[in-house]
Amino acid sequence: MPVAGHVGSDYERLRPEFRVIQNPFTPGERIMLVPSIRPDVALIHAIAAAADGTLLLDPIEDDALLAQASRMVVASTERLVARDELRSVGDGVILQGIHVGALVEAPGGAHPTLVRGVHPIDGDHIREYIAAAKDDATFKGYLDRHVYS
Amino acid sequence: MACAIAREVRDGETVAVGTLAPIPASGVLLAHFTHAPRATVIIINHPDYWPFSNGSKEFYDFAQRGKFDLFFLSGGQIDRHGNLNLIAVGDPERPRVRFPGGAGAAMLYYLPRRVIVFRAEHSPKVFVERVDTIASPGSTPPVVVRAGGPWKVVTPRCLFLFDRARAALVVEALHPGVTRDELQRQTGFALEFDPVAGVTPAPTDGELRVLRTRVREAVAKTYPQYADTAFGR
Repeated sequence: MPVAGHVGSDYERLRPEFRVIQNPFTPGERIMLVPSIRPDVALIHAIAAAADGTLLLDPIEDDALLAQASRMVVASTERLVARDELRSVGDGVILQGIHVGALVEAPGGAHPTLVRGVHPIDGDHIREYIAAAKDDATFKGYLDRHVYS
Repeated sequence: MACAIAREVRDGETVAVGTLAPIPASGVLLAHFTHAPRATVIIINHPDYWPFSNGSKEFYDFAQRGKFDLFFLSGGQIDRHGNLNLIAVGDPERPRVRFPGGAGAAMLYYLPRRVIVFRAEHSPKVFVERVDTIASPGSTPPVVVRAGGPWKVVTPRCLFLFDRARAALVVEALHPGVTRDELQRQTGFALEFDPVAGVTPAPTDGELRVLRTRVREAVAKTYPQYADTAFGR
């Protein structure tokens, strides 16, 4: 797919999979093409979801785009509601269930990041993670406290 | 820095601020609350200044269409030709320092009409003769589609302008109290001074009052820690 800019930067040298071609529509112009990204699995967390996999997503995030790029989508959701109640839950964009391969109800599943309209970012937890991630011993402590317990 | 940025914002323009840019966000809002009330202000992740509903894709597509008049970028290294390095120091295969990467910066340095480069550290480590890796070139050959490019560079010490004809940074103004010798010691390339280079006007009481009230309050919605610590009193 074509991307604007980029031509003349070191991406031409560092990323051999990026190609620079003549723009077929505007002779004389050089443009960059990059291969599309095809994730095997996308994990996304919805504000709310219906049992058919239709999701209500944060409009600031790129979850709907990510879902459509991926071979398989596993969604978690703050809560399950009836299909016709999704739009009344709050602001958001709808991703139709046809894109979603699996769905699990997991309140708090985005913690320590935020779910807009539900809960804020947990800054203390993220600071604890950053400190713990500095070496294996402290990181094991983090896992014991928050993952294995 | 926020005041220097605010003075570059023109009323009626579309002005966008990307991620990790609390100083540009402060400057743009200062302008918006004073001389640029009709500017269209876009601040990534800000609940009140985000006019899109399809994620950052919509923001990048809007930028690729050349809809931004003014945008802001930074660099791990910045050189005298306005090249930005957001990739790595040293050999990119075995870097001494790995930066977060260019993300959209190799497009966003080309499409907005004017780009202001900002960096809160003015040192020879940052302002180098030649960046190790060019994520975003200051200039490109005419066969490359490029509507805009670097306009100014704002640091805590000075304001550079980008001389497009020569692809070179030139000191436009020193901030109050900074001498030319001192600035040269803090810069890793030989400085050129604009023939009429002067002193940046100090922030006025009015600017400081707006910064410490309305701007601080608005910036806190996206940068709470910055709003708590950066504005003084």
